[in-house]
Amino acid sequence: MNDHKDRSNSKQPQSCHPQEQHVKDNKKSSSRFWKELAKGIVISNPVFILTLGLCPVLAITNSITNALGMSAGVIFVLLCSNIMISSIRKAIPLMVRIPVFIVIIATFVTIFSLLFEAYFPPLHKSLGIYLPLIVVNCIILGRAEVFASKNSVVLSAADALGIGFGFTIALIMISFLRETLGTGSVEIFGRQLFKLPGLSVHPLTFFISPPGAFLIIGILLALFRWIGVIRSE
Amino acid sequence: MRNKILLNKAYPVVFLAVIVIVSVVLLMAVNSMTSPIVKNMQVEEIKNTLRSIFPEMSQYEVDDEVYIIYEDDEKAGYAFIASGSGYGGNIDIMVGLDSGFGIKGVSILSQTETPGLGSMITESLFTDQFKELSASDIALKADGGKIDAVTGATISSRAVVNAVKEKMIEIIDSLEK
Repeated sequence: MNDHKDRSNSKQPQSCHPQEQHVKDNKKSSSRFWKELAKGIVISNPVFILTLGLCPVLAITNSITNALGMSAGVIFVLLCSNIMISSIRKAIPLMVRIPVFIVIIATFVTIFSLLFEAYFPPLHKSLGIYLPLIVVNCIILGRAEVFASKNSVVLSAADALGIGFGFTIALIMISFLRETLGTGSVEIFGRQLFKLPGLSVHPLTFFISPPGAFLIIGILLALFRWIGVIRSE
Repeated sequence: MRNKILLNKAYPVVFLAVIVIVSVVLLMAVNSMTSPIVKNMQVEEIKNTLRSIFPEMSQYEVDDEVYIIYEDDEKAGYAFIASGSGYGGNIDIMVGLDSGFGIKGVSILSQTETPGLGSMITESLFTDQFKELSASDIALKADGGKIDAVTGATISSRAVVNAVKEKMIEIIDSLEK
C-alpha cells in the first residue's frame, strides 16, 4: 500500500495539468465541476491543444454526419469509463491498472458499437473500423490514467464531458470545413443544410481526401495556438 | 482487514478476473438484446433492395446465395449479392437478373468510398447503366465495355463493374446446370 501511495504521489508533479490534483474541499466542488467541464473545451482541447487521438480525427471528418457519430461514441465511452474507473479507483491494484482500464474501455466501446449497429446501421457502416478503434484512442486511456484514477466520480464525469465536448467541437469544425470545401454542400443525417452554387458544381475534392484533412487540421491547430499566444500575452 | 486484502499477492489477478467476467456478462446481455434487431434489419434491407429492383415482386426464396424472385407465383428473375473491394473498403452490390439472364437492375447495398467522389457509385446515374446488359458488355468504356465510370472515381467504378461481372458469370453458370 505504501508503494502505491509513493508512486502516485511522485507522479503528480509530472502531470501536465497541475490543477488536476485531488481536492478534498467540498465547498469548492461545485465550481471545480464547471472548471473541469470548461477546461476540456478550450484550454485543454483534446484535438487542438493536446493533439491526442488524431488518427480517427483525420479519417472520419470527411462528413459532419460521421463526425457526429464518432463524437457520440467518444463521449459515451469516455463518460462511462471515467465514471466506472473513478468509482473503483481505490480497489484497482497499481500493477494491473492498465489492463483493467483497457478491459473497461473495450467493454463500453463494444456496447456502444452493438447499440449503434442495431439503431443507426447506416452510420455504423460508414464509421466502419474507426468505431472499434475507440478502444485504443489515447484520449480515453489518457483521461483514465491522468484523471479518473485520481479524482472523485463527479469530477471525473465533468472531465469526461468537457473533453468529450471539446472533441466534438473540434470534429465539427474540421468536418464542416472539409465537407463544405470538398463537396460544396453540407448534409446532416441525409438532410441537406445548404448547397453553394459554384462550389457544388466544381468542388475542391482535395479537401475530402486525406491530404485535405492534414491541411485543415494544421490550419486550425495554428489558429488555436495563435489565439493561445495572444491570450497569454 | 482492507489492507490485508489489497496486499495479497493474488489480489491483482483476482481483481482482473472479476473485471473481465463482469464485462463478458454485460456484453452477452447487450448482444442478446441487439442481435435480433440487427438480423431483422438486414432481412428488411434485402427485401427493400429486391423490391427496388423488382417492383412487382410478390415474394422471394433464398437458395444458397441466389434469391429467386416470384411475381404472382411465377418465377420472374434472380438476384445475388456481389462484393468487391473499392478504394475505401468493401462494396456490396445487389444484382437482379431477369429470366433471360440480362441485368434487371443493380443497387449498392453498402460502400465506404470517398464521399462526393467514389460514393457517387450509389447514384442511379451510374447504376442505371447496367440495365439490360449481358455479362460480356459489363466493363468500363475505357476497358472496352459499355459503362461510363464516375468522374474521378475510376477505382470505385471498376471495383463495382468487376465484382458484378465475375459474380454474374459464376451465378449464371450455376443456374444453367
